[in-house]
Amino acid sequence: MITAGCDIGSLTSKGVIMENGRIKAAAVISSTSNPQSSAEKVMNLAVEKAGMAMDDIDVCVGTGYGRDRIPFVQDTASEIVCHGTGARWLVPGAMTVIDIGGQDCKVIRLDAGGQVEKFITNDKCASGTGRFLEVMARVLGVSLDELGTFSAGTMSPITFASTCTVWAQADVIRHLNDGHPLEDIGAGINSAMANRVSMLVSGSKPRPEICMTGGVSKNRGVVQTLEKLLGSRIHLPRRADPQLAGAIGAALLAQKNGRGGAN
Amino acid sequence: MRPEIKEYNIDWMIWSIIKTAGRTTRGSDKEFYAMLEYVPYFRGILDPIVREGEAGKQFLELVGEYMGNIVNAHDDGKKLAMTTFCFSPAILYAMDIMPVTLEAISTLGALMWRRGTYDYLDYCCEVGFTETSCSSQRGSLGAYLAGLGENIDMIVCDSAGVCDTNANAFAFTSAYLDKPFYQLNYPPELVTDRTTSYHREDYYGLIAFLEEQSGNKIDEDRLRDVLTELQKQDEILTDIEEMQSLVPNPMPILYNLFIYAGRFFFAGMDNYTRMLETMRDTVSANAAEKKSGLRSGKENLRSLFCYIDHFAVNLSLWDWLDEHGITQVGNILSKYYNADAPYLEGSREAGYTINTENLVSMIDTMAQMNARMPMVLSIRGPYDAPYMWFENSLMLAKVFSADCVVYNGTPGCRNTWGMIKPFARDMEKEGLPTYIMYGDAFDERVESWDATAERLEEFFRVRGLL
Amino acid sequence: MKHATTAGPIQRAEESVQNWKQNGGRVVGYTCSFLPVEVLSAANVLPARLRGTGVSQADIGDTYFGPYICSYPKCILQRAGSGQFSYLDGVIIIPGCDSMRRLDECWRKAGEDFQGIVPDFFFHFGVPHKAADHSMAWFSSEIERLIRSLEEHFGVSIGEDDLRKAITLYNKGREMIARLNNFRKASVNTLSGEEAFALSVAGTLMPRDEYNQYLGEYMDEVSSRKPGLYNGKTRFMLVGSVSDDLQLISMAESLGGVVAAETLCFGQRHEGDLIGENEEPVSAMVRHYLDESLCPRMLGGYQARLKSLKEKIEEMEIDGVIFQNIRFCDLHGSENAIFERDLEAMGIPCVRIEREYGALADTGRLRMRLEAFMERMT
Repeated sequence: MITAGCDIGSLTSKGVIMENGRIKAAAVISSTSNPQSSAEKVMNLAVEKAGMAMDDIDVCVGTGYGRDRIPFVQDTASEIVCHGTGARWLVPGAMTVIDIGGQDCKVIRLDAGGQVEKFITNDKCASGTGRFLEVMARVLGVSLDELGTFSAGTMSPITFASTCTVWAQADVIRHLNDGHPLEDIGAGINSAMANRVSMLVSGSKPRPEICMTGGVSKNRGVVQTLEKLLGSRIHLPRRADPQLAGAIGAALLAQKNGRGGAN
Repeated sequence: MRPEIKEYNIDWMIWSIIKTAGRTTRGSDKEFYAMLEYVPYFRGILDPIVREGEAGKQFLELVGEYMGNIVNAHDDGKKLAMTTFCFSPAILYAMDIMPVTLEAISTLGALMWRRGTYDYLDYCCEVGFTETSCSSQRGSLGAYLAGLGENIDMIVCDSAGVCDTNANAFAFTSAYLDKPFYQLNYPPELVTDRTTSYHREDYYGLIAFLEEQSGNKIDEDRLRDVLTELQKQDEILTDIEEMQSLVPNPMPILYNLFIYAGRFFFAGMDNYTRMLETMRDTVSANAAEKKSGLRSGKENLRSLFCYIDHFAVNLSLWDWLDEHGITQVGNILSKYYNADAPYLEGSREAGYTINTENLVSMIDTMAQMNARMPMVLSIRGPYDAPYMWFENSLMLAKVFSADCVVYNGTPGCRNTWGMIKPFARDMEKEGLPTYIMYGDAFDERVESWDATAERLEEFFRVRGLL
Repeated sequence: MKHATTAGPIQRAEESVQNWKQNGGRVVGYTCSFLPVEVLSAANVLPARLRGTGVSQADIGDTYFGPYICSYPKCILQRAGSGQFSYLDGVIIIPGCDSMRRLDECWRKAGEDFQGIVPDFFFHFGVPHKAADHSMAWFSSEIERLIRSLEEHFGVSIGEDDLRKAITLYNKGREMIARLNNFRKASVNTLSGEEAFALSVAGTLMPRDEYNQYLGEYMDEVSSRKPGLYNGKTRFMLVGSVSDDLQLISMAESLGGVVAAETLCFGQRHEGDLIGENEEPVSAMVRHYLDESLCPRMLGGYQARLKSLKEKIEEMEIDGVIFQNIRFCDLHGSENAIFERDLEAMGIPCVRIEREYGALADTGRLRMRLEAFMERMT
């Protein structure tokens, strides 16, 4: 059976096509203002990469905030369930999932069977989300990828105010003007981010094994600092792009429930 | 919380540091300054304190003794009471109970450690305490919640009716750790008969609680000793405060910290009296020569900190003020309102009197004195009500000839952030330039000291004060 | 599913307040459930609890209040500054919490800039944070002080009989609310959380005799419904910070749940048990409002509140508890965490949400949280 998962978020949309528990193709695009067109665009891209047609897909499940407006899915499922399922596939032993996306930071605890046991999120402010890193990277004039490498190159990381993105920005600018090396500043930014996230994670009473998904998991500086703060290894997905967790989960649910419905 | 932070108890760690720091003053100056090279972070507070001479040494000893009392209490067969800075510990000492004052321990951690008390601040939030709560309790509370401190036997506070976030920290801890709890509660008035009565009844309730929890009965002789000592302390403080109002202010700026920290630690105990005496001698000597207490010797400006000081990282605030020739004529923490206090002329009813005649009069004294502790006196009811924060701050500004007023607190301070803007506007109407600081006195992550200092400088320059 | 009425209970209640005013009646606004409203009723003054909903701007609120303050008093101040409370003949500020306490001075200071927004009768009504004997005595004297002040200002006389009558009148409403709540029980299940809460909020506004009658009529209709209307829906209890708007409840109910109980202070907690009618009225009020309160501002009362929550969960067969606090509400926010710890340890699913007071701005995220929570229970 060929299934697909379509995860329509406010910033990015992801599409994944799976067969027998393996990914055939995947695509990630920036979301348009219209969920329906985002969905069509990303699925068309995925289908093209797979060298097939939309009709070849047996069941497609939609998730993400725009899921109710995708006309071609057979069913929808909540992003948390999809994310948890996808994360378990990405990191088979995962019991705690830290997902830091562009706009929020979530921690999902799974039970042995992969069901969501507890879910908490920081949804009130930018620090502790990808947005914080984006803003800081822009101030430094570097790409997000580059920012992630700075922690490895620093000899003297700077401690930043981590509570508020606005004020941290002022501090970064000051340090830049004072001529501090980019590595030191970048490492400080990554640490500030990790500190913020660690509070949320620790509050969720995480259970090993801990894994991380979402775009920020590609920032080695944040990941390594977080490992130190939590005193625990953080598994990073190796089977596929960590941003695809939600779409993978949706495709897996499509397989599990067939046309019967995921909800 | 980082794994390495879990290795030691907070009280033991602070005690070790301060005890060791106290020993550094026994060497020669040369030895001392050579040793400072080896404590790159701690030197930021050790150096300024030791430079204050005898008073500094006594202060270090005082802090060491305070922390030692906590660490050794159980071995000495005494109970530990977790409490707040605005609760006078005199009653605890009179009943052989050792205080664990959260804000004091938070302050010490914030001053001494480069890493601040972040791990403890955040741990509180990890176990569900709101992140928006005041950092002054959280900075040490996290350790106790995590079991990284001495085992607490009871919890007492006196901030109900004054400061919710403070009182809530203790109520939360009581529920979280399942410990016995007593709150002194304050009505929105100060000097009415029913309020005086309430203070008294409430205090009797406190004593009953302390007796039950500690197994010690209140001892009239012990209480008399403590209150007699307190009377001495009040007299010395009065002398110092009278001199503080001189221009230039002959009191070294760091003495502000010594005065209130000492009082929070050891009100009614003779070690504090000795330190006060040393300080009075220095201040008198300066006053006799009409000398400013600032290191530069030149007083450019006089500031009243209408709330609290800034403790996040070393003694940066005092260093900064000192460097800029700005003397500090006190803050809300450093005034205690004995009815004889020089600034209570015309409103003696707002103060307390010490009467050691018998047990009843002494308990009454304690009740009324506790009702005049920092914040407890002035942060109840609307800020513009009689005796409350505005009238109180204005009076202090006038008596001590302040040129400006500075507000510094924490984002957790609900009751001041609820009205600081109208307060500042009213102060300005009285001709006092007033500055609102947006940092967190105990958590540098909110606003770095560099940013704080920059904005502080901006205020003084833009207002033409410097 | 909504009960079809010509106007929702809250809208109806707001209209009643305006009618009362137009008919020459006096209205005094108050800020917190600790006020013995019977005292106002005894003075023939309508007690109307101040609401902050419907505010779209924050400029006035933010001018006087600083940044780190709960949005509830800011919204009320915004309305006050915009003249929306200028019809009030008086305001009573209760220091329920620090943020609300400061509404007193912020409102008065705003009155220096905005003409006519501070009524002549502006009263600070103190409430102790505990129910010790001397606290009850103090509270009693504060009630006496309020009575004298009302008498003097409004030119009325409030005698013991007047108080008794008011207590009886308010008790009637309490009895009816208790009866209405029976329809939320799992065995009957014909009253939605949204309806029940709307009725509770209405009770803080409507003249009491009118309210009692309205409840009576409402109950007649509800009794005629076929039992089991909301069967199959996940049963929630809503706990936490002040709320007087229906959005969170209606969101939970639109996702397939029913809010079978709540402990909000605009809700059932506000009504609580009956005030004793066979004792001296002021002491009876003191006992009811102070001793029987479930508010976390009554410090040290965690165990009693936990017990009360557990009883409610059992009585109403609750599947899961939604804890919510307004950002900067430390009293509810912190206690919610301990409740969650203890209830989850007993196997009761809980979710904790932080929000702003006012129009639900982050509905997307709240939906996600609630959906994920519901999935845990199905």
